[in-house]
Amino acid sequence: MDTLDKTEWDVIIAGTGLLQSLLALSLSRSGKQILHLDHNTYYGGHEAALSLSEAEEWAEKHAGDPPAGARSCFAQASVTKTAEGDANGSKLGFSRAYSLALAPQLIYARSNLLPALVSSRTHNQLDFQAVGSWFVVNGATEEGGQPRILRVPSGREDVFGDDSLDLRAKRSLMKFMRFVASYDEESEEARWAEIKNMALGHALRSKFGLNSDAAITPLLALALVEGNSADLTVEFTVPRIARHFRSIGMFGPGFSAVLPKWGGLAEIAQVACRACAVGGGVYVLGKGIRTATASADAKYEVELSDGEVVTTTWLTGCPDDLPSAAPPSTTSSPSKTQIVNRAIYIISSSLDSLFPPTSEGGPVPAGAVVRVDTGTAGGEAVNVLAHSSDSGECPSGQCVLYTSSMGSKESQDNAIQYLIRSVNEQPEPHVPWKLQYQQYISYPFDAEAATTSNIICLPPLSADIVLGDEVLDAVQHVWQQTTGVPADSFMKFVARGEESVEEQDTM
Amino acid sequence: MADSTQAAAAPKPSSSVKLVLLGEAAVGKSSLVLRFVNNDFQPNKEPTIGAAFLTQKTHLPTRTIKFEIWDTAGQERFASLAPMYYRNAQAALVVYDVTRASSLGKARHWVAELQRQASPGIVVCLVGNKVDLAEGDDGPDAEEEEGADGEEDGQGEAAAAAAVKPAAVKPAADEGAVRKVSTKEAKAYAEEEGLLFFETSAKSGLNVSEVFTAIANAIPEASLKGGRAGANAAAGAGTQAAIMAGADSSKVNLNAKAGGDKGQEGCAC
Repeated sequence: MDTLDKTEWDVIIAGTGLLQSLLALSLSRSGKQILHLDHNTYYGGHEAALSLSEAEEWAEKHAGDPPAGARSCFAQASVTKTAEGDANGSKLGFSRAYSLALAPQLIYARSNLLPALVSSRTHNQLDFQAVGSWFVVNGATEEGGQPRILRVPSGREDVFGDDSLDLRAKRSLMKFMRFVASYDEESEEARWAEIKNMALGHALRSKFGLNSDAAITPLLALALVEGNSADLTVEFTVPRIARHFRSIGMFGPGFSAVLPKWGGLAEIAQVACRACAVGGGVYVLGKGIRTATASADAKYEVELSDGEVVTTTWLTGCPDDLPSAAPPSTTSSPSKTQIVNRAIYIISSSLDSLFPPTSEGGPVPAGAVVRVDTGTAGGEAVNVLAHSSDSGECPSGQCVLYTSSMGSKESQDNAIQYLIRSVNEQPEPHVPWKLQYQQYISYPFDAEAATTSNIICLPPLSADIVLGDEVLDAVQHVWQQTTGVPADSFMKFVARGEESVEEQDTM
Repeated sequence: MADSTQAAAAPKPSSSVKLVLLGEAAVGKSSLVLRFVNNDFQPNKEPTIGAAFLTQKTHLPTRTIKFEIWDTAGQERFASLAPMYYRNAQAALVVYDVTRASSLGKARHWVAELQRQASPGIVVCLVGNKVDLAEGDDGPDAEEEEGADGEEDGQGEAAAAAAVKPAAVKPAADEGAVRKVSTKEAKAYAEEEGLLFFETSAKSGLNVSEVFTAIANAIPEASLKGGRAGANAAAGAGTQAAIMAGADSSKVNLNAKAGGDKGQEGCAC
């Protein structure tokens, strides 16, 4: 059986991005016949991890404008290389020494995904590493001045030990941090109602007596927001700051978030696919879906990109993995397209100062977050995710920086330059290779409209640098629809025997 | 001697090695793994129509290697599982059948694919299986193995194409079950490509554990360690300490929940 033609399936999953792969994992013990396809010849879809040459191929493919009608896609991709073996003598490693993440999102320890990976017994296949420190870089220095980099205090001890704050600022900051810890509890109800619509900066000054910008910027870094404190409300930022503090110490001392080793979310997607394959799911790369038409028995006839026709009860995937006509109702809701500028920078130095140990005996951090204030009008800031070579994404002696923002690609370039200058290494590190691209994301995604038929459209992953809980919620929603079993069994699997021997039946 | 003393004093460091099993259908991939896994453990069978995942430990004098073995069994025909399986794999077992010349051709294809796509530094072992058929005189049925039940035997080529229980499938082409791939030819090829090389019999167990021990020994220590911290430790305190310290230095344990609640109280002010 080398052909899929005329085969019958319970669920066809189109695309091997994170959401589809998590769905495959959730269905891996359901007893359903699952066909998991990807029109790409690699796994991971929009969340793939790419070697250097794969990334260059990918950039060529996505160099143009987005295709008309595309609902979630990449465009305007370009790779910039500086001459190899230049004055600094630093060179790129060979292609496969890199595993660059299209989805380098950090995962907070309190994310709903991590317990699901544990209860589905997939976490043993994954290595998670700590995102250790948060930094702020102020690029708005006087002409020719050295940009300063400061580590963000991430707890009570850090605040007391911070020499840049005076005693009054420290007291105010502690007061604010206590509020953040309990903002959503009954005891703070009145205060929350009073200040939630205020701008964060205003609330900090008037309600907590925190006057120093030096104390406010780090809070914005912890909230992982792009704008400045004048524009952002308490209601928006405080839950994001709380998310950070509430995650600290969850899986060990001194860090609040983790990243999957070997190329970000791609690794989780692949481990999820492997689990589904072990459960009997059939995997075929290089095959997409051309059309889906309703047939008898409430099933669909699905034509694949090579003309084969298969039958399925359910068909699901992210917007651009499904036939453009389906589901018909998604287009009826008004949606905007968000264009996010993203970039991947390979740095000629390991930038060790970004990855200091954050606790004694804790894991060595492989990730860091840097908020770079580029000093342009409006206090534009760029959040940079830094991954050390421990992440398996680049050879040792280098590191990879990721940006994702509404700002221009020039502002991201500037941010990287400020960041590099701020660490004050000699010789000054440079960027031997970078990939810049745009991501188009349609939002808001209307899940109800998308799931009126047995063709279920999964939402695209947002370009936020934090993996949000809505991802697993969306997967659970589809899982529930296709299986109809009680919600509390979602992603809860017994161990397959540690030393088990599994044999296959005939198909 | 110093090493063994040290090993006795402290628990031996243990490392996981991801190993992917590749090769043409019906060359005996699953049988090899069954033989290897059965050596120390009673099989706990769980039927599946998909791929298989098994684990087995190999004890070396200075460390324990836990193999995580990924078998693409049953899905070779779509050639889509292998890329997912060899991603980040530290070792690959490329298996051919010494009684079938075409299977060495397929093995060469896999070796080339690994060299092109897999992790740099992956340890590749070329294994010619079914030598019992080539040396004995008891015909093609001999590969039938007690540990690998013969429920699907006699399905010939169709079964082979669906990769059903390789050990149970008779080599389709040959009546006399004679060797079609000489040791010399395969060995020369393996040397040329820098591969480990063994001829095995899953049936008799010949060389099976040797294959895995050789792979375990060939895994570079660097790929067992955790990177920077491991390297630092190595500078100060020898290999043993480096493995101990390095293996998990950057790894976060998601099961460390007990500390979590305490940590939350402590840090959220």
